[in-house]
Amino acid sequence: MTTETKQIPCLGALCACLCAPVHKPEGKYLDTLPGLTAILLAFLTLSGLVLAVYYDPWHAFASVGFIGHEVNNGWLVQAYHATGATALFGLVYLYLFRAMLTRGYRAPGELVWGLGVKLMAVLLLVGWLGFVLTGGAAAYWSLFKASNGALALSGAAGAIGGWFFGGPAGSGTLARLELFHAVLAVGAMAVLWLLFAARRAVVPRAEPGQGVAFFPYYLAQYLVALAVFALIFSVLAFFTPHLGQPAVNALPADPLTLPLGTVLPWYLLPLAGIAQALPGIWGGILGVVGALAVLAALPWLDRSGPAGAKGGLYCVFTWVLAADVIGLGITAAARNYPQASLLLVLFTFWYFFHFLVLTPFVTAIEAK
Amino acid sequence: MRRFFAPLLALGLAVAGNARAEDTLSPLHFQSDGPLGSIDKAAAQRGFLVYQTVCAACHSANALHYRDLEALGLTPDQMAGVAAGVKLADGSAATLDSPFKDPAMPASAFGGALPPDLSSIAAQRPGGAQYIYALLTGYATAPDGVTMLPGHFYNKAFPGEQVAMPPVLRDNAVTYADGTAATQSQEAADVAEFLTWAADPNLSTRHQIGLRAVIFFAFLGIVAVISKRRIWREGR
Amino acid sequence: MAETAATEAFGQGTESRRGFLTILTGAASAVAAGAVLWPLVDALNPDAQSESRARMVVNVADIAENTAKTVQWNGLPIYIRKLTAQQIAAAQAVVTDTLPDPADFTARVNAAYQNYVVVVGLNTGITCALEGNDPSDPRGDYDGWLCPCDGSQYDALGRVRSGPATKNLAIPRFTFINAAQIRLG
Ligand code: HEC
Repeated sequence: MTTETKQIPCLGALCACLCAPVHKPEGKYLDTLPGLTAILLAFLTLSGLVLAVYYDPWHAFASVGFIGHEVNNGWLVQAYHATGATALFGLVYLYLFRAMLTRGYRAPGELVWGLGVKLMAVLLLVGWLGFVLTGGAAAYWSLFKASNGALALSGAAGAIGGWFFGGPAGSGTLARLELFHAVLAVGAMAVLWLLFAARRAVVPRAEPGQGVAFFPYYLAQYLVALAVFALIFSVLAFFTPHLGQPAVNALPADPLTLPLGTVLPWYLLPLAGIAQALPGIWGGILGVVGALAVLAALPWLDRSGPAGAKGGLYCVFTWVLAADVIGLGITAAARNYPQASLLLVLFTFWYFFHFLVLTPFVTAIEAK
Repeated sequence: MRRFFAPLLALGLAVAGNARAEDTLSPLHFQSDGPLGSIDKAAAQRGFLVYQTVCAACHSANALHYRDLEALGLTPDQMAGVAAGVKLADGSAATLDSPFKDPAMPASAFGGALPPDLSSIAAQRPGGAQYIYALLTGYATAPDGVTMLPGHFYNKAFPGEQVAMPPVLRDNAVTYADGTAATQSQEAADVAEFLTWAADPNLSTRHQIGLRAVIFFAFLGIVAVISKRRIWREGR
Repeated sequence: MAETAATEAFGQGTESRRGFLTILTGAASAVAAGAVLWPLVDALNPDAQSESRARMVVNVADIAENTAKTVQWNGLPIYIRKLTAQQIAAAQAVVTDTLPDPADFTARVNAAYQNYVVVVGLNTGITCALEGNDPSDPRGDYDGWLCPCDGSQYDALGRVRSGPATKNLAIPRFTFINAAQIRLG
């Protein structure tokens, strides 16, 4: 062992890093969320690479069917990738929500928080692109609306939209979107890497002589987290492989019939709800950008300061916000009743009200 | 030589070994239902016979190939027999690698209502097999006061209740080689099971592997928790 | 998952009091990682379509006697010819030793289905598609195939009879599924 580590310096460094007793001895299972996210991203990349071997953007729907029917274990790779997306958003949403509850976003965690929100934003785009790549009826109409909306914009925004979509949605569009899907996925990994680096810098280290090493302590913890994660993942992938995906996406795209019902995967629905609540294309764009921006601004909207007390009332409001976001998603999914538009506006209003009004006031009051 | 001109016989050979159909009709249930369901191969084979004899006149199922029938228990020889009995548009016989023949219905045939491709219809319609069964057995005389569109038939299960597909199933529309009585509802249930398989050919495997994976990861989780506890206890 | 399992295995040499349970966890994790990743590797094996193309089934029942059918298989033109009784008799009568590339009747046809000749329809001299599938095509002096490029002549079994080519036509791997269908590859 020792000779080996001398001969292979990297191995020595790795070993030293894994065995250095610097971690706090009271690790929480939920601290493994970013680690699980990284492993899942790698897993999604692998399964995505395999799918890319057979995927044909010019005949998207047919090639997706081909992978499911003709490729060895193709259905399983598809289930990996689709369920992987669902699980990824599960992890990221849980991670962010936990940071909100524990108020981990406050100094010195602002950078980590900001990177978390950025990661979510990039992943939402990657997720939407991946959904569009399926070429099903729902995917087609989502792409159709997005590209037409983007092209209808004037000035720089329209130019960017034109560059991104390469003109009105046609058979060639998916070829570039496949590329963007892959490139942005790599971008998401870069953001996650930055998040790890930032987190390392702010996570408090153990007092000398008090800490424990990653190996074997945290490795054992990771294995538990992974096993539980894999258990949940298996249930989803094998028994509900289309969970959270719009059912109409099983239909081939038909430019003449607009599908009824939910047209987006679950993880996009809350943001889509906000976009739908605001009028016009610009309303939608501003709604999405604004929703992400206020989320990213949370460390500064929270007025309690780094040492301020954790208020119970604000905690309640955070749970209410979670309910609000779920309500947004559910309402956006089932828009077939007349009150839906009003509900969306109310939920959207509450979302922004929570961040822009409630957060500064309640935290400031509770900190006193 | 008889064999290639009698694909039905080939099918008959395939199902002859299976026991008689168990009663799936009262109450209606499918072996493929539920989280641990699996495809009833005998029913799906009978359903294929119904598809091939009745539905294929109007509906394509172009995601399926004759070679895929192996998954329903047909031997290569029987599949080859089935394929050779199908005449393609150019006059040649189908091969194992051909997709199920597309009858290429003209758009005008049913007043513009083209018969949809049936490859994944069970996944595309809410209710899947249950809906297909209800559709095929849902024909009735239109109640008073309902004005029928020309060329449409009253059907309780179809959204809008007026469907351009004529009632095509009747008792003994096919003869089952395994001795199952070919009642209209039996045919409908069988073809629904066949279309469930067509839309999700890996259903049985998926559930089987899924069950094993869940058991294994539950075991792994327990072992991992115990060993984590021990490692942390020993270390402190 | 693979990474953590590997690290686990790697650390086995360090002195520590981890017992059977730890080894079990590590081993089970490694098995899980392998089982999870295997489908990704297996998915790159030939898919059902290319598998079936590579093992193509050809209908031979519709070939008329004395004509041949051409199918494309793995990028090669395959000629499948149905012989007449006279052609079989004539081919059996040939003294094989005198041929440029000696091969007897049984080496060129399937014993159970003697009336079918299956060959790669490319001249063995200059690569060039042969003529002679249809009875009305020029077939050369040996009632077989003729190369329009260099004039090489083959008999009905695909044996070269006059140059410049020196080798018999290649026979692809094939099996009869039944009297009406053959499987190439
Ligand atoms: C005579 C031609 C014909 C035959 C035979 C036929 N169909 Fe149809 N089928 C149609 C037409 C036309 C439609 C389109 C109906 C419409 O949209 O109104 C249709 C539609 C359907 C649909 C879709 C209904 C929906 O929800 O949109 C299913 C499922 C279906 N057929 C199943 C079958 C099955 C199973 C068989 C064999 C037992 C069969 N069909 C035989 C003509 C036919």
